[in-house]
Formats: sequence, C-alpha cells, structure tokens
Amino acid sequence: MIKIRGLHHHFNIGKKGDQRQVPVLKGVTLEVSEGEIVAILGKSGSGKSTLLHILAGFMLPEAGSVMVNGKETSVLKEAEQADFRLQNFGFIFQNFQLMPGLSAFENVELPLKIKGMDEKERKLKVENLLQKVGLQEVAGHYPNELSGGQQQRVSIARALITDAPIILADEPTGSLDSETEKEILLLIQSLNKKLGLTFVIITHDEEVATVADRQYRLHDGELVKGEQRHAI
Amino acid sequence: MQFKDQIDFIRQHMKRNKLRVATTILAATMGCAFLIVLASIGFGLHQTITDDVLDNNMVTEIEIAGKSGGETEVAPADIPAADLQKIREMEHVVAVVERNQPEAEAQTVIGNRSAYSRIVLSSMEEEQKAGFALSEGKMPSKAEEIVVGYHMAKQLLTEAEMEKEANGEEVDGFAGSLIGQTIELQLTPFRDEGEEAKESSSWEFVVTGIAKEPAKDWMTDNSVYADSSWGAVFNEELDLQQGYKYILVYADELQNVGGITDTLKEDGYYVYSVTEELGSMNVFFTALKAGLIFVGTIAVLIASIGIFNTMTMAVTERTREIGVMKAVGAQPKLIRKLFLMESAAIGIIGTVLAVAISFAISLLSNWLIPMIVLNSLGEDRPADFTLVISTIPWQLVVIASAISIGVAMLSGWRPARKATQIDVIQALRQEM
Repeated sequence: MIKIRGLHHHFNIGKKGDQRQVPVLKGVTLEVSEGEIVAILGKSGSGKSTLLHILAGFMLPEAGSVMVNGKETSVLKEAEQADFRLQNFGFIFQNFQLMPGLSAFENVELPLKIKGMDEKERKLKVENLLQKVGLQEVAGHYPNELSGGQQQRVSIARALITDAPIILADEPTGSLDSETEKEILLLIQSLNKKLGLTFVIITHDEEVATVADRQYRLHDGELVKGEQRHAI
Repeated sequence: MQFKDQIDFIRQHMKRNKLRVATTILAATMGCAFLIVLASIGFGLHQTITDDVLDNNMVTEIEIAGKSGGETEVAPADIPAADLQKIREMEHVVAVVERNQPEAEAQTVIGNRSAYSRIVLSSMEEEQKAGFALSEGKMPSKAEEIVVGYHMAKQLLTEAEMEKEANGEEVDGFAGSLIGQTIELQLTPFRDEGEEAKESSSWEFVVTGIAKEPAKDWMTDNSVYADSSWGAVFNEELDLQQGYKYILVYADELQNVGGITDTLKEDGYYVYSVTEELGSMNVFFTALKAGLIFVGTIAVLIASIGIFNTMTMAVTERTREIGVMKAVGAQPKLIRKLFLMESAAIGIIGTVLAVAISFAISLLSNWLIPMIVLNSLGEDRPADFTLVISTIPWQLVVIASAISIGVAMLSGWRPARKATQIDVIQALRQEM
C-alpha cells in the first residue's frame, strides 16, 4: 500500500548567508501493508513529522520515492497532490485542527463538500459516522463547546468521512489526558479491525505506539525497526 | 465543491466578520454611488439639452440651404425641380416642401383691423404630406384659400387698440374665429434706403385653417400660408425680385433623418437637421460623460483599497483554516475561487445598494434642484423649461456595475492568490 524508498531531506538552519544544512531523513525506507497500523516513534526534531508531511504530499523530498497505492506521489503537482489526498488520506492532528466557525457536523462534512457530494447523501453519511464515533448528541456543537476527547473524535470522523483507505495520524493523543488517550487508541484499533483501515501514527509516546502492528523508531534520520503490538 | 456550498461558505465567513465586511461594503457602495450620481449629471444635462433641441425643432425636418455646384454654389431657389423630385423619391422621404417669402411687406386686413404678417408660399398638398398641423379648420383646397398663423387673430388690431398696446395696455385683438373669414392681403415691395415708397396691391383670401400653436410660449406665429402659385402673381403685379426660398425635406421617422441627411450631403447639398445639431452635441456630451465616469472610477478605486485590506486581513486570519482545507484535499483553485467570490460578493452587494441609493439621489435632485434654480430666477424663469439634473440610463448602471464589481474582484485577486500559496505545514502550526 505504501512504499517509501531512500527518502532524503534536510533543513537549512541559521541566518541568511550563514546557513548550515541539517539532514533530517537519511535514506528512509518503509513499507506499510493494507490494514496495518504502523507507529513511527521519535524524539522531538527527529524528523518523524517531516516523514509524515512528505508522505501526505505537504512537502516534496529531496531524494527518494513515495509510492502510495502504486502511484508515485513525490512527482505530483500541487493540485494533483490535493486531489490524491482527498481520495487516499484521512488526517488526525495533535491539536485537532477543527474549523472554529463550523459545528461538529459541519467539520466532519467539510471534506465531502470539497469533494462536491450532494447535500442529502452527505447528511446521511455524516449522521451515520457521528453515530459510530459516539458524537450524535453533540453534532450541532462548536469545537469550543466540546471536550478534547470529543474534538479528537470529530477529527477522526472527518478523517474517515471520505472513505480514504489510509489514515495519517500526527500525535493523535498529544493534547489529551491519559483516560481520553486510551479511549482514542481503542477507537483507532476498533476502526482498524472493523473497517480494515491502514494507520500510520507519528508519536513520541511509547504508550501510543503499543496499538501498532509494527513500530519504527526514527533516530538520527534513520528508521530502525521496533517492537510488535501488545494489548492496551 | 458545489456552487451552493461555495455560497454558503463565503456567507458564513462574512457573517463572522460582520462589522468589517459591512464597512467595506459601505465603502464600495459610496464609491459606486458617487460614480453613478456623478455620471448621471452628464446624462441628465445631455437629456435636458437634447429635449430642448427636439422641442424647438420639427425633428423630422431637414433644411436644404443650397448645393455645391462645382466652383459656384447653387442657392435653394436655383436647385432644379428635377433634383428636388429625386429627393422626393428617396426612401423614407415623405415630402419636400419649397417655401417662398416674397420680397414685400405684407399686411393682413379684416374690416378695420390689420396686422403685419409673414407670407409663406408653398404647395399646400406637399405641406399636408409633411404633416403641417392645424389647431382648427382644414387645409386649403383652392388657390384663394389660406391658412393663418395661430396668433393672427390676436395680432389683428384696430388703430385705437394699436395705440393702447403701444401704451402697454392689454388688447384682445379679433374676437371669434377667423375660419371662413375673408381677409385682404396688402403687399408693398421692400424699398432700399432713400428710395421712394412703392405702390402696394391687395388680394382677398378666405381663411380655411389656423396653424397649430408654436412649441414655445415665446414664439409668435402671425404668418399667412398661401399656395405657391401666388408667387408668380405677386412678382408680376409688383415687379418683385426673386424672394427668399428655403427647402425642407421631411423624413418619415426621426431615426431615418440621419441617413437622409448623409445621403443629401453625399449628393452635394448643404443641409441642416436636428441630427446635425444633436450630433455635435453628442460628441461633447460623450466626452463629458466619459470624463465624469473616469473621475467616478477614481472613487471606486479608493474604495477598492478597503476591499483589498479586508480580503488581506481575511486571508491572514484564516491561514490555519486554509491550511486545514488544503490538507483535507481542497485544490488551490477552489481556495482562490472562494476568496474571489467573497470580494465579488462585497462588490455586488455594494453595487446593488449603490444603484438603489443613486436612483433615490437622482429623484431627489431632479425634484429639489430645479425647484431651487427656477425659484431663484423669479419672474425671469422660463415657463415651460424642464431642467433634468440627473438621469440614470440602464447603460450607466451596466458600466458602473461592471467597473465596481470588476475593481472589487481585482482587489481580491492578490489576497486570493496569497491564500493559495499558504504552506500547509506552516498554517497547521498556527495557534487557533
């Protein structure tokens, strides 16, 4: 499903004219199969977010190849990347990234609106999904009226609404307390089992990585294989 | 994204920033209203002058003042009858009237009353085709029958009345109708200075019709309209020189006057028609209107700075939202379209309000300003003068709307482009 080969990337650090290059990814290679949960662990600044951004098409790698569902995404133009994301990826962010002016229902509905889906069809789909993630009661609430766990559930629902086969999660429990964290991780596991979704989770939290089928650790720009899944 | 959803999307954003959007719309409204009202003054004055010209002229009339004849110029009296016949046969020409004024002083006498008159000799048949209008009676059917001017009866005074009138007293003139009355027409040849008085001659005519009242209050018509065959009789009897002749060509409709005028000019005739007068006026007023629209556009451009500012602020404020939209799959062109639509919406709402306000200002100024101007003139004010200060034709509405909405979209272009260039990663890092 996802094949990353020899990914290289660096950042320029320092003032203009006095910049130095800091490599963040040094030939990263990774394969993720359909229906797998893969966790990428790493300290702050280890390059794990850069890897996710390249995978999502938010930025282009300096070298290497990213194949998703048999398509080389690192050569796509901006508009093609956007279209590819809409069809293939769902996103869960650390700070939820919900639209403050939209209700929970409208936030989940947003990707379908972008997709151009008919209103009736859209409404039905969003209602069903909100019920699945236990948010039907707060569908009309705005993000500032929801708890952290509820906001993350809305964010997960938004990631799932387009039926994208791959969910990219960047520190999905980073803003949550330990109780809510467990709740969200259970939801991720359940969605993986029930819907066969593929998850790539970026985290610094060892606990979060326990839901993964496979764990990798990014260290000095290189990806090292870690432990296997064990129960939460 | 469906169009309805796009509209919903920008409506939501505009609602969230009500005050800022409202003040921007107000600026756009003021700019566009200023443009329309300013230009409407040009259109209004143009209409006032055009109406005045059309009121004072027989609009389908074309006067032939002569013809170019190689090195010499041919006077109207010398234009061959065959040439005039050719004009009569032209498309859209309904009549060609040849009017003669004998070289003699004319006095109309009825009983003990008399009045100085202007003799107009013409073919009554052709005059009728040209639409010669009567206020009462009918057109002459015999040579001895005539039509007199609308004010003839009032001008026919006794000697005592003439004296009274000279003293500034009101006189009534001939009471009753002149229709069917026999009047005597006394003609005395004009004389040069120092020349002895020449003998006069008289002819009797029966009045069959009274001409229509002239268009303007200040015009007095005490003419005698008689058949053109009398020209030869007067000339022979009084040994007169060839009098003043003018030729009038009548078109069926105003819209054909221009075409006939152009054809006659091509054939070498010196012509004058209302289209000629309007034509030179139109050039001036077109330039004036273009100038006013240009000045008004500056106001719209000033308002556009507000739109630019609002849209730039909107993009800056919504950077994170734009980032989220791009992350979940919104194409850059959709982001650009949404922002352009928002600036267009500001332009459209501003323009609609501006058009409504402009019509209100136009109505108010057309009621108030003429009242003030005419009242300030006091006794000197012309009785039948209509002053139009402002006119808003649909063309002006279209031009002003196109400028306003176009400028609004142009001012939104750069912020919209900026929105599409927002980096997703940077945007997602922004705090809420």
